[in-house]
Amino acid sequence: MNAPAALDLASIPERIQSEVQRAIQRSIKGAEYFSSSGPTLGSTPKDILHARGTMNLYHYRPLADEVYRVPVLIVMATTNRGYILDMIPGQSFIEFLLRRGYDVYMLDWMAPKPEEKSLGMEDYVLDFIPDCIRRVQADSGEQDISVIGYCFGGVLSLLYGSIFNDGPMKNLICFTTPIDFRELKLFHNFADRRYFDVDGLVDSVGNVPPEMILSSFEMLRPAARMTSQIQLWENIWNDEYVKSYRMFDRWATDTLPLAGEYFRAITKDLMWDNKLFNDTMTVGGRKADIADIKVPILHAVAEHDHIVPYEAARHLITKVGSEDKEEVMLKGGHVSLVAGANAVKRLWPKLDSWLAGRSI
Amino acid sequence: MADKGSDPIALWHTMIGEMEKGFNAFANQTMTSPEFSKAMNQAGGASAGAQKQFGDFMEKYLLNMNLPSRAQMIGMAERLQNIESQLNEIKVMLQQMNAGSASSAYSVAPRPPRTKRPPAPSAAAPPIGEPK
Repeated sequence: MNAPAALDLASIPERIQSEVQRAIQRSIKGAEYFSSSGPTLGSTPKDILHARGTMNLYHYRPLADEVYRVPVLIVMATTNRGYILDMIPGQSFIEFLLRRGYDVYMLDWMAPKPEEKSLGMEDYVLDFIPDCIRRVQADSGEQDISVIGYCFGGVLSLLYGSIFNDGPMKNLICFTTPIDFRELKLFHNFADRRYFDVDGLVDSVGNVPPEMILSSFEMLRPAARMTSQIQLWENIWNDEYVKSYRMFDRWATDTLPLAGEYFRAITKDLMWDNKLFNDTMTVGGRKADIADIKVPILHAVAEHDHIVPYEAARHLITKVGSEDKEEVMLKGGHVSLVAGANAVKRLWPKLDSWLAGRSI
Repeated sequence: MADKGSDPIALWHTMIGEMEKGFNAFANQTMTSPEFSKAMNQAGGASAGAQKQFGDFMEKYLLNMNLPSRAQMIGMAERLQNIESQLNEIKVMLQQMNAGSASSAYSVAPRPPRTKRPPAPSAAAPPIGEPK
């Protein structure tokens, strides 16, 4: 163990002055924080191409004079809003793609209404995604489409690609996508089939409330909320920190409810029976084996992902049937992999260099 | 500048970080036990049942009182959110129009040609991360 370094007495007045200034700034900025709204998120200009119940299909307006032939459809995770990929100008994945010359569409989700509680896995995989694919084809005039799935959006994209393996998906990119659900150890334990009465829950509440989804995410790191509040107060003098905190906090707490039957299928087929990993998954009676996916695939995983640990994601690349396949592990967590200052330097350029040559 | 080992602020940050890690690790270990799952699901099941009954009761009560229910308020919030996002879009468009951008005429403007080619290998972004 190192001996503690001697106290630098000369630096103390300077340090006290700096701390006093920060304390004053904290008081001023603290008042501002509570009296103002956060930055505007998801403001990259877009058109709603189609909206049906919980499903929204956006087309983002091009920002380049020339675009790649193959359009990109982003499939968002069903638990969260798509604006994580379109935070603010300069920190927007969507804006990045548009400026690099991609034609971008997004399948985003609204909270399912009580009458949509009967939506099941087959509605998402056999109806919503194919419907969006058809509309993107019609709007762009192109048959081929690259699909990007984030987290559970990646699982839905894998299921779609397994079943519709003869096209029109040309490339598949998954971000932090789990396939071995036993390795989501905490979620797996929360949903232990001996104690978790999923039928009772879905039959009584219909759609699974967002508070329940949010608290199960927060339980993965129970001290994180408290320490993030402390860090916010310490850094409240720093406008950039506060802006970033507000963006991510707003998104993280803006959790969506899950349609009841869909949640029942996730629990039984994926959490309990681990069917995707065991190659026994079916959707609407149709076999969904990821070995049937033959298109080029990139899987980006995060080194410090506490939601989808690497163990849960690592078999994806070995199990898909594609010859052109790559896994890339980048520094960061589940969210910082795809959004924020680090994603700008790490994931986005990597994705662009992988996708550009496959988009012509 | 003071060394990290003697800087009370740095020590405080380290302490908070370590405390968070330690607490999360301890809690995660506890939460992987079957006993935790059993207790959590018993409590959750009872609370979901009670919540459902109470929700039904409140729904009827609010209807009798001619007041909006939570579901109706959520529906209104959703609509407000849609209006808000449309206003944001309008704001962005106005800003672009003010800046002399031509994108406001998007709907009538021809779309860019789908002829883009990837940049030459030397100009491409360097690979980032560790392929595994």
